[in-house]
Amino acid sequence: MAAGGELAAVVGVGMTKFSATRGDVSMPGLVREAAERALKDAEMEWEDIDAVVMGKAPDFFEGVMMPEIFLGEALGAVGKPMLRVHTAGSVGGSTALVAASLVHSGVHERVLTVAWEKQSESNAMWALSLKQPFQVSINAGAGGYFSPIIRQYMEETQAPELIGCMVAFKDRQHALLNPYAHLHQPDLTFDQVVESPMLWEPIRYSETCPSSDGAAAMVIVNETEAKKSANPAWIHAGAMRSEANNFPGRDEVNPQASRECASDLWNQAGIKNPREEIDVAEIYVPFSWYEPMWLESLGFCERGDGWKLVESGATHIDGGDLPINCSGGVLSSNPIGASGMIRFAEAALQVRGMAGEHQVEGARKAMGHAYGGGAQYFAMWVVGKDKPTT
Amino acid sequence: MNPEERLSAPIVLEYPFTRTTGPVIGAFMTGLREKIILGIKRDDGTVLVPPTEYDPVTSKALTEMVEVGQTGEVTTWTWVENPRDQSPWDSPHALAMILLDGSDTPFLHAVLVEEPDHMKTGMRVSIKWKKETEGHIQDIEGFVPEKENHA
Repeated sequence: MAAGGELAAVVGVGMTKFSATRGDVSMPGLVREAAERALKDAEMEWEDIDAVVMGKAPDFFEGVMMPEIFLGEALGAVGKPMLRVHTAGSVGGSTALVAASLVHSGVHERVLTVAWEKQSESNAMWALSLKQPFQVSINAGAGGYFSPIIRQYMEETQAPELIGCMVAFKDRQHALLNPYAHLHQPDLTFDQVVESPMLWEPIRYSETCPSSDGAAAMVIVNETEAKKSANPAWIHAGAMRSEANNFPGRDEVNPQASRECASDLWNQAGIKNPREEIDVAEIYVPFSWYEPMWLESLGFCERGDGWKLVESGATHIDGGDLPINCSGGVLSSNPIGASGMIRFAEAALQVRGMAGEHQVEGARKAMGHAYGGGAQYFAMWVVGKDKPTT
Repeated sequence: MNPEERLSAPIVLEYPFTRTTGPVIGAFMTGLREKIILGIKRDDGTVLVPPTEYDPVTSKALTEMVEVGQTGEVTTWTWVENPRDQSPWDSPHALAMILLDGSDTPFLHAVLVEEPDHMKTGMRVSIKWKKETEGHIQDIEGFVPEKENHA
């Protein structure tokens, strides 16, 4: 495999319940909850872990300074290597990949990786809207940044106006199958999504992600350790790319870094036709329209056809051949720093057959995806029920 | 261009963040409001003040809160002759590590004496509480030499 070196697999996954405010726990208590669940799943104790790799969004989302230091005790990292990864919203994905690389390289055998955010202690909208001297300030957070890009996609592909609402409604239906999801809206109707207030034209309120507290964790081990597990999720491929968020000629709808990251990923995994060969994917979709946009960028379909996949129901867990975000996705839970890791962890749960009510029957190969910043950092992996063959 | 002519502009960042204390730090803060000091007991019987949620060596979750004394010993100190604007103290004072009776770890607070000659490593001090407490580390106004507090 292109990742090189030792095989690596996920043998433990843990998540907190995602909610608007986890007022019952401190930051250490929050990460501890996810980490303990991952260890329990892996049937391990704190002393079994060789190293800890942690990720979260920028420090000033909570007004903290280097939380990896004060979280060391809560994560059993005392006396062990502890690393922090920073790649904005994609950080949960890149954190998992850094953890995996420590195993691929043979440096460590058992690595705990954790990503988290406690949005209730801050306001990401504020943090993302800071007025900078000498720059135009739209003071509109991530939605304001992405809405013109979404409009460009709609115009380029002539997508029908309500495709985004279909994605949002689908992910909220999926969330009902996931007890950890933040938004559980059993009575929500498609019409209510359509009629929800326009926040950042063309993005409606119901087409946006919530603001969540939560953490996710995984235990990633080498082949020898993975053999002790009844259902390891083998890592078939992992790729990361980045690009500047502003340069002349930048394709903001379909960034070069996204395309090249996906291409590298499929090559590593030996996948020629992602639509056929991937059974289920968890893709980072904080605003509904990013589902069709990423489906195209990732090569699940031709450019301009992403919205047709959505419209056909292909991405719905009920009857779709390429179920996307069966957990409810970022649209149903968004503890920012953890959101990428949740995608990666959900992919692992699917191929381990442990996704509960949102399990895709017989899933053998799954993709996890995250993006961050102004759609400029990308992290992706493919995990499989079977060991990689090459 | 002359460096002095380059444009610059102030940028002020301000946001009222929240901190959730959780069960252990929350209990410690509540204790301050009640004018008692709570530590937490480790498996080996030693007591940490201020308490931590997880053992700093074994990472085990800690839960057994214990009350410690309001007197203790200065283990080391430094003198602050000119407190800055944001200091909780207006007058010259010592910042000291204080090992409370019943605790195995010293914690940082002020010793309110008039000059550094009144400070000595190993000296005994006791808590001087504020009249009104609210559940904050500054509910402790500072420490004073033990005899003085009894006077």
